[in-house]
Amino acid sequence: MEFEPTIVGFLCNWCSYTGADLAGTARIKHRPNLRVIRVMCSGRVDPTFVMQAFASGADGVMICGCHPGDCHYLEGNDKAYRRFQLLKRLMVSYGIEKQRLRLEWVSASEGERFARLVDTMTAELKELGPLELPPDLSLEPGTHPDAPVVREVTHG
Amino acid sequence: MNDECRIGVYICNCGTNIAKVVNAERVCHRVADLPEVACARTYKYMCSNPGQDMITQDIKEHGLDRVVVAACSPRMHEPTFRKALEAAGLNPFMLEMANIREQCSWVHDDPAKATAKAADLTHAAVRRVARHQPLEKQEAPYTPATMVLGGGIAGLTVAVELADAGQHVHLIEQEGRLGGNVGRVDLTAPYLDSARDLLAEKIVQAETNPRIDVHLRSTLTDLQGFVGNFTGTVTHQDGSDTEFPVGSVVVCTGYHEFDATRVERLGYGKHLDVITSFELEQRLRSGRLETADGRVPRYVSIVHCVGSRNVKYHTYCSRVCCMTALKYGHEIKSALPEAMVTDLYVDMLSFGKGGEDLYRRTSELKTMFLMYEKEDYPVVRAAEAGDDCGLLVQVRERLSGETIDVPADLVVLMVGMQARADSDQVARTVGISQDVEGWFIESHPKLAPVSTPTEGVFIAGCCQSPKDIPDTVAQARAAAAMVLGYIAQGKVEVDARYAQIDGDLCSGCRVCNELCPYTAIAYDPDEGRSDVQSALCKACGTCVAACPSGAIAARHFTDEQILEQIEGVLAWSSSQP
Repeated sequence: MEFEPTIVGFLCNWCSYTGADLAGTARIKHRPNLRVIRVMCSGRVDPTFVMQAFASGADGVMICGCHPGDCHYLEGNDKAYRRFQLLKRLMVSYGIEKQRLRLEWVSASEGERFARLVDTMTAELKELGPLELPPDLSLEPGTHPDAPVVREVTHG
Repeated sequence: MNDECRIGVYICNCGTNIAKVVNAERVCHRVADLPEVACARTYKYMCSNPGQDMITQDIKEHGLDRVVVAACSPRMHEPTFRKALEAAGLNPFMLEMANIREQCSWVHDDPAKATAKAADLTHAAVRRVARHQPLEKQEAPYTPATMVLGGGIAGLTVAVELADAGQHVHLIEQEGRLGGNVGRVDLTAPYLDSARDLLAEKIVQAETNPRIDVHLRSTLTDLQGFVGNFTGTVTHQDGSDTEFPVGSVVVCTGYHEFDATRVERLGYGKHLDVITSFELEQRLRSGRLETADGRVPRYVSIVHCVGSRNVKYHTYCSRVCCMTALKYGHEIKSALPEAMVTDLYVDMLSFGKGGEDLYRRTSELKTMFLMYEKEDYPVVRAAEAGDDCGLLVQVRERLSGETIDVPADLVVLMVGMQARADSDQVARTVGISQDVEGWFIESHPKLAPVSTPTEGVFIAGCCQSPKDIPDTVAQARAAAAMVLGYIAQGKVEVDARYAQIDGDLCSGCRVCNELCPYTAIAYDPDEGRSDVQSALCKACGTCVAACPSGAIAARHFTDEQILEQIEGVLAWSSSQP
């Protein structure tokens, strides 16, 4: 059977979640692989959430926030962006391909863009195949020898 | 997992909106087996009164302590279902919604996959709600003064309405005069009333009513606080600032007209006798309907849909131009009975009360109607020596299939409406969103047309989308009614979601102090720890994600709630085919 990736999405309440709802109201069809979790701001996304999603079986994670300058909370998306950059480096040291995490800006009016992002990421992950974490990999912060920096990154 | 919970799960069919793609019964069976779930049901419309009653009854009969509703977006009906919980004596925060309509049945075709996704989302909601904690409601006073942005017909109507009800208004206008775009118009369609008459009384009222403070040449540059308790900083022309405490802000910033130079073939800016509808209004107001060199025009061509209903410019219809163009037929014919008036149009959209009647009356004046293909604008060129007119308008006429040169001494371009160039700054200042065309987005297109997702910020008139004067005034009065509703209550419910620091866990590192965009976190050097001032906190959760000690909790978005949701949403999908 064809591999169907599971993607966990963290969408900010103000722009991206509304954009995803707009895709619904406008009936813009897209791949059913994304499972959305609503957060108030992309700045709320603790790197632990992302790692937990991978550990619990997600093949990909997509964080969506307001476009730069449009954050409902002024600059939460900036914080999300900085954490995302650090998290990407960390993921690779865990053996997780960097394509498995995306940070995208989706405004409340971009239902079409949201739908296309879901389709694109689904297609990319299909290509990449299921996420296979090393069996001995513990995601407890700081316990894995390859990831001694986890605490600093999480809280930087 | 919390085995002590008694969760009721309600899966909505939404008529066929959900049920035609998602097998609600199957979702129901799957979640019913979860240990925390005490009862699970489907129903055709959960938001209906019988649907809500079902929840309220079950809470009482089955002793439920938490509820999951799998239905539409929480942005739609979360308040509805919170009330249903309250009606049964349950804390409203013991609710979680799974969005299986907007983000599932409406966007997926494959019933099996959509059902699996709906089950995952519902499972996640069950896991999350098990970690919910009752939150107490907080109240704050409501400042009865209101700030109105924009002194056009919408803003004037809001201001006068509120002042007549005895309330104080700060009316902020960027220009040096009140009246906005309606103040640039001569007569109005379809009854040919004078725009000046419509405005004059309102302007006088705004200027003389002691409860309305008009601030001309002023802009709102900053808005802090929350509903009932905003502080707006208004910057005046001389650079000075004034701060106003207000309970609500009504945005009535209107529109700009389309820049006709963008459609090159229409020759605006190249031929002096190609003018925009607003330039014609100016000539009609001054009673000098003539060409650039002072001649009386014998031929007038009116081009519809300039910048509107066109993929290159704006795809939407600007709503008022057809009726305005028909109005010109009357105004021109009444001033110059011998003139020949030709309307070059795409479709005649004479909607609404009196619209068709105006179309009929204009047709009877023997104006000529020629239809052109959408996006195939006519071409305007200078006439030749032997012609008895200044310009020729070449149009590929759709009904006859012929290419016709229409004589013209004056060509009037019906320029559409577009979002103001500064609308993005306004949106950022007051914290609301814009659609792809730049118009401000309302909470619900049908049911909450003047509200925005930012409580206490309302929108009215053309800043929301193109509309005519009656619709603008209706929205303005609706917004005033919303504000008066708050004032009547005298208080607002403050969001119970805010960040809280556990003093025992806080190490006093002060990372959060710097991160907070609202400076809501202060460090207490005596205690050696930080604390959140809940009234200033807007619950973004940025500090929560950054705290190295895990000492900050985002109420209603706690780490454990979200982690449960992550595990719940994935628990079945990895085992799904």
